Amino acid sequence: MTNTPHRPAAVLLAALLFSSLAAQQSVTVRVQVRDYPDFTRLTLESSDRLETSLTRTGGTLEISVDSPAALRLQTAPVSSRLIRSVAWGRREGRQVLTVGLKSSDFTYQAFTANRPFQLMVDFREGESAAPPPAREKSDAPPPVARTTPRPSSGVRTIVLDPGHGGIEPGAKGRFGALEKDITLAIGLKLKAVIERNLSFRVIMTRDKDVAVSLENRAALANNNDALLFISIHANGSYKKSSHGSETFFLSLNASDEEVRRLAYFENTQGELEGHLAAQEEEQDVLRMILWDMAQAAHIRQSSRLAELIQTELNTLLGTANRGIKQAPFKVLAEVACPAVLVETAFLSNPEEERRLVNDEFQNQVAQAIFQGLVSYIRLYPPEGGR
Amino acid sequence: MPRRRILVLVVLGLTLVLAAVLFFLRGGWEKPWTEEEIPVSGDTAPPPGETEMKKVLLFFPSEADELLHPEEREIVSGPTVEREARRLVEELINGSRTGLISPIPPESQLRQLFITREGTAVVDFSKEFGDRHPSGTSAEMATVFCLVNSLTRNFSSIKRVFILVNGNERETLNGHISLAKPFPPASSLIAE
Repeated sequence: MTNTPHRPAAVLLAALLFSSLAAQQSVTVRVQVRDYPDFTRLTLESSDRLETSLTRTGGTLEISVDSPAALRLQTAPVSSRLIRSVAWGRREGRQVLTVGLKSSDFTYQAFTANRPFQLMVDFREGESAAPPPAREKSDAPPPVARTTPRPSSGVRTIVLDPGHGGIEPGAKGRFGALEKDITLAIGLKLKAVIERNLSFRVIMTRDKDVAVSLENRAALANNNDALLFISIHANGSYKKSSHGSETFFLSLNASDEEVRRLAYFENTQGELEGHLAAQEEEQDVLRMILWDMAQAAHIRQSSRLAELIQTELNTLLGTANRGIKQAPFKVLAEVACPAVLVETAFLSNPEEERRLVNDEFQNQVAQAIFQGLVSYIRLYPPEGGR
Repeated sequence: MPRRRILVLVVLGLTLVLAAVLFFLRGGWEKPWTEEEIPVSGDTAPPPGETEMKKVLLFFPSEADELLHPEEREIVSGPTVEREARRLVEELINGSRTGLISPIPPESQLRQLFITREGTAVVDFSKEFGDRHPSGTSAEMATVFCLVNSLTRNFSSIKRVFILVNGNERETLNGHISLAKPFPPASSLIAE
């Protein structure tokens, strides 16, 4: 009888102990989706071996996961050619990852690897299992691609990002021109020039007047393992007389201590990535920092790309050279490849507004960015997929 | 047994009191959001009988170049750095009196300002700060560093500035510059 008051406390203590033990033993499961030229790969990664089974129903594939340990489930935002959605759920005591495909007309192949445990599922369009042959453009001799070692994994991707769109117009000119329209027009022209001359796949973060979140713009580049990310903008200033072109790369906007840490990441990126892939749990924090500031590891190459584009803008546009600059752009921060933001000219300056809406000027801007891109690829030929 | 139960209750009660005391002590340097904290209009008016003034330098962009130019202004001094910093920000919203550019939308209101122990001034503006902003990279940079450089130059306890809009973190000022992290001052933007 005298024991009764102790019982709830004992139960509580036991529960606390048990839950803290369970927390220590929990296993992190990460899901990533990446588009390759002829398939889309979903990777489920975990520090511990998992029992998995796959069930296909129409346009969805369910991956059921069994593990003695508690699972900590992580997914990154998905933006993919074939996969519409990825979501965790629970059924009959097992964790189930439901992968929604954009069409029910798909085939998949699954295989696993260990240390760390990885389940890879490759999705292809169409009923036949044979992947369509990667087609390369043979017309118009490409000035760069010919000398570029072609990666075995296929054609690399350049992501073009016309700023703003939809309900978000960006800067406005005195005569009514909107930044979102100018960036889209230049972006489409640049896409055409690249596709005409180089064997790269070009993906646009938007190809019409729609709003796209800044997060999704970065995700699109990362999920497609982009070689480069180029954001196109038209500037706006309080100062009516501001004029000229400038090219930005990300400023880390960080304290001295953070700069040191980030510089360390930049210098040891390859080493660090290998390290992270092999390690688990305690490295999660590091990995999150990397993702949060994905661009930090590419700052040096981004600055080079900015320089080369700015040089061409100066040569071809006849606009004032405002140089290359750094600023904390949200859209660049999460991009995991060299990335720049081009401020073509000032919409807030009536004279430049008139030029920006002009078709010929837009062509010149596209041509200048293209030339900068070509110089960059000569300096840093792509080595193929990671 | 009842005695033991009383003991448990007393311990529980004491713990609660201790927690409350700790909470309010900590609240002294990072105040929780409450309606009372939002400055009322009388906040910046000199309190009766005490109108000691203090000279500050506000930094505004100029039509002449791409830099921030100092403009001297007097604000009521004391009693705390946070009060003074609020008055300074309100002067920035009021804008330049010497023909420099005023880069904070005049409809903006300062909702809250506090300084953390680490030296970050958290400045919370009403939604007009973002929504009435003309957008554009240069314009957004001008707004941010007018605020950041003015605050850090005048108050040595402010090392960096974190901007909130309507009590929340905002992704970008108006489409370009990220407000996700506190800004350190950019002394290279100051004309001197």
